[in-house]
Amino acid sequence: MRLLKYIGRRLLILIPQLFLISIITFTLVRMLPGDPARLELGPLAPEEGVELLRHQLRLDQPLPQQYMAYLQRLIHGDFGRSWVNSSSVAQDLLVRAPATLELMIAGMLIVLVVLVPIALLSASPSRGWLDRVMRRISFGYGLLAGALPDFWLSLVLIFVFFSVLGWAPGPEGRLAIVELPPERVTGFYTIDTLLAGDFDTFESALAHLALPAVTLAFVYGAPIFKMVRASMEAALRSDYTMYAEGLGLPRRTVLLWAMRNAAPPTVVITGVVAGYLLGGAVLIETVFNLNGIGQYAVQSITTADYAPIQGFVLVAAVFTMMVYLIVDLLQFLIDPRLSARAS
Amino acid sequence: MNAHKVDDDRRQRHTSASAGRHSANRSVTGLWSRLSRFEQVVLILFAFVLLMTAIGPSVAPYPPTFADPLQRLVPPNGAHPFGTDENGIDVLSRLIAAPRTDVLIAVIATTLSLAIGAPLGVVAGYFEGADRRAMRWISEGTLRLLDVIQAFPVFILAMVLVAIRGTGPVNVIFAVAFVNFPVFLRLVRSEVLSLREHPYAEAALALGNSELGVGFKHLLPNAWPTVLVQMSVTIGFAVLLTAGLSFVGAGVSPPTPELGAMIASGAKFMVIGHWWVAMFPGLLLGLIVFTFAVMGDIAGKLMEPRQQTIASQRLSANDRIAPAAEAAGPSAQGGVLSVRGLTIEADSRPAVLNDVSFDLMPGEILGVVGLPGSGKSTLVRAIVRLLGSGLRQQAGHVFFRGKDLAELDEKVLRAIRGYEILPLLANAKSQLNPLVRVGDLMVAHIRAHHRCSRREAHARAARMLSMIGIADAEHWLAAYPHELSGGMAQRVCLAIALVHRPPLIVADEPTAGLDVTVQRQVLDLMTELCRQSGAAQVLATRELGIVAHYCDRVVVLNEGLIVETGPIRDVLLAPRHAVTRRLIAAADLRVVSAAARTNMSLKIVR
Repeated sequence: MRLLKYIGRRLLILIPQLFLISIITFTLVRMLPGDPARLELGPLAPEEGVELLRHQLRLDQPLPQQYMAYLQRLIHGDFGRSWVNSSSVAQDLLVRAPATLELMIAGMLIVLVVLVPIALLSASPSRGWLDRVMRRISFGYGLLAGALPDFWLSLVLIFVFFSVLGWAPGPEGRLAIVELPPERVTGFYTIDTLLAGDFDTFESALAHLALPAVTLAFVYGAPIFKMVRASMEAALRSDYTMYAEGLGLPRRTVLLWAMRNAAPPTVVITGVVAGYLLGGAVLIETVFNLNGIGQYAVQSITTADYAPIQGFVLVAAVFTMMVYLIVDLLQFLIDPRLSARAS
Repeated sequence: MNAHKVDDDRRQRHTSASAGRHSANRSVTGLWSRLSRFEQVVLILFAFVLLMTAIGPSVAPYPPTFADPLQRLVPPNGAHPFGTDENGIDVLSRLIAAPRTDVLIAVIATTLSLAIGAPLGVVAGYFEGADRRAMRWISEGTLRLLDVIQAFPVFILAMVLVAIRGTGPVNVIFAVAFVNFPVFLRLVRSEVLSLREHPYAEAALALGNSELGVGFKHLLPNAWPTVLVQMSVTIGFAVLLTAGLSFVGAGVSPPTPELGAMIASGAKFMVIGHWWVAMFPGLLLGLIVFTFAVMGDIAGKLMEPRQQTIASQRLSANDRIAPAAEAAGPSAQGGVLSVRGLTIEADSRPAVLNDVSFDLMPGEILGVVGLPGSGKSTLVRAIVRLLGSGLRQQAGHVFFRGKDLAELDEKVLRAIRGYEILPLLANAKSQLNPLVRVGDLMVAHIRAHHRCSRREAHARAARMLSMIGIADAEHWLAAYPHELSGGMAQRVCLAIALVHRPPLIVADEPTAGLDVTVQRQVLDLMTELCRQSGAAQVLATRELGIVAHYCDRVVVLNEGLIVETGPIRDVLLAPRHAVTRRLIAAADLRVVSAAARTNMSLKIVR
């Protein structure tokens, strides 16, 4: 009951937030010098077409009407057209989104499966050589991860694992050039190839995903890593852990309970990072040529193709808002103190 | 990010405490010696980066934009130690010249962010605490607006801003400044909110200064240290952002030497093995970002006021009345607990406990009294072997039923702790894990020492709570610790302590923070149940009144030494040590006033 009430209230906040986002994206294009209709259709479009769009956008009317026209288009899923590809922006984003999501999910999986356990191990009190090694790794990683630029790290990984060692495929996209993408079900190549039973292509998709995902995890996993380590250390030093030890509870229970305490801050920071991830994916996608929505945005910027930029910015902001919403709800579920305060 | 902060705080405290011993003056060498070797290296690197920013372009061996078509993509050699790029420009020269572009853009942009964010932060902070509702609404609205602005991924927002206004250093500066200003707004706002509680802010207000005036004149300067630390970190981030923008062509364009653009121009050659064009700029970029980030920590540490190490007053030898009768022998016959020559040391202070020895018979209640900081808590923690970090058992033994606890392996110790030796610690609420239900803790504790089903353990926990006088046990078993009052939490801990009917309970200020009525209830209950089950007790407290009422014998601790010990009557009637007399004087006052307040007559020994 409490949860429903909280969800309701939290969703209520979302509505003005979404409106603000739409106002900001609307203003962004109005800030451009020149005629928005001309900008959207590009320099090559005929004057009649521009005139028609100008009418559709109600550019001859005051700003509030223009904004209403923009909202109406958004609600109908019309993000405008890219003049470079002469395609629908909504369609373009939809086609490319799985590539980006696949990269982000793979990166987060690496963070959760590799980095979080290392962080937890390096936080627990020194026992054997394994913990000592973990602490070394975690110290070095903490120093490096925040400073190395992701786009450069991508290049170095390509140089080492493709050019020198030949272990990984080069930056040729999500599959080798000669390979055909699987039949589209989810848009995730790793899943679609499995659904189609095409294991060779699955392997190739995985191999093409490996370096970008590792880069993403390495660079953007750092805050999560540090937060997990610090909160686990704090939990293990706390009075309640000492007391649990004093009661002779099994070590497993003591550690599991400490992890429970490390969970809420970890969830928050993971959400914040997930919100940033789309921005991070932009550069990594571009270097590895993954053709996701990030690379689409970069290409649009270099060709001054404004409708895609506007669409991407909107999608990115809404995505971040949604991630924050999920984080808030998770927080509420994990931490009984929050639910007590909310009621 | 937060994690980083926690980490550093700890490191700061540690280092400043240890450095405090070496140097007393706040000279440059003093500051230098407070840094670790690692931080000294970073400081030198930072100076190097600043130097390159200042004079880089004029000391480059070749003109950084001079293209030699005959020298394209030359690998590193004698004439070009870092090789040349696709236009035949010396990579080293461009590297030396590039930081000026990146660092300058980042510094100017961050300063601009601060110039926008800080005043708005002061205003937001002041409006937030204002009396008028309209002002609070403005502040709330600003923060929600910031939420939305920050929902746009930073890099994308910056990229779009540059795309809108066109490439070039000036527009990059605006874009980077815009995406970072919310950071400073939030930071200054929270600083102002916490600083306005300070006495000097109130004093300035009382003198008739306007609220906002106080904010700008008094609070902003005090927020400087935090702001400076954040600036350093943000500059590093801004360098990364500038380079990223230039990398995708939405920043500084060639031929201006700039690290991101250099990496971009080398990107396609990396794949075919010409690694040097992109490799070196990336390393330098990482180095710059890294030094700025660590410099933030260093600056924070240098500005933090040094912790004063309290001059330790060691007791002279004859100040000490040694409990000679108990000093020798491994363990008294039939004793539950024997402490022998226990000496505990902390990292940088003199011994917290010094050669402490005593014995405890079954069913006996031993009071440990002393002033705050005399080592009572440490003694209790040493007996349950929960010393925590920073404390070491330097010498001595703790025998439990003849076994030296220090020599038991972990498994045996786990079986004894919580089953035969039970801790009962001060401030029970903080002893309970906030995310674990009371029932789960009790069930886990019962099942850790007694083979039974979860259901049986639960029933036993409920019985135990009822026995201790808690009605509606099921309700409290399902509760989280935050739902408990301090007294209820202490009773839960008492239930936990008694559930296995242990031979020894070690209590540290078990009733601190509880009001006098609850205090008495808890202590009466504890003593009564201990009497029933024959448990011995060590009861550490600073209140002699409690000891007088409940204990059989007393040990007086001062500065880690036992200064007096004996049957409670003897010690209270004929105190031999000054500390004991002080405690008695204090106790009399408190007991008398407490008794007057609650209309209860405590047994006071005159």
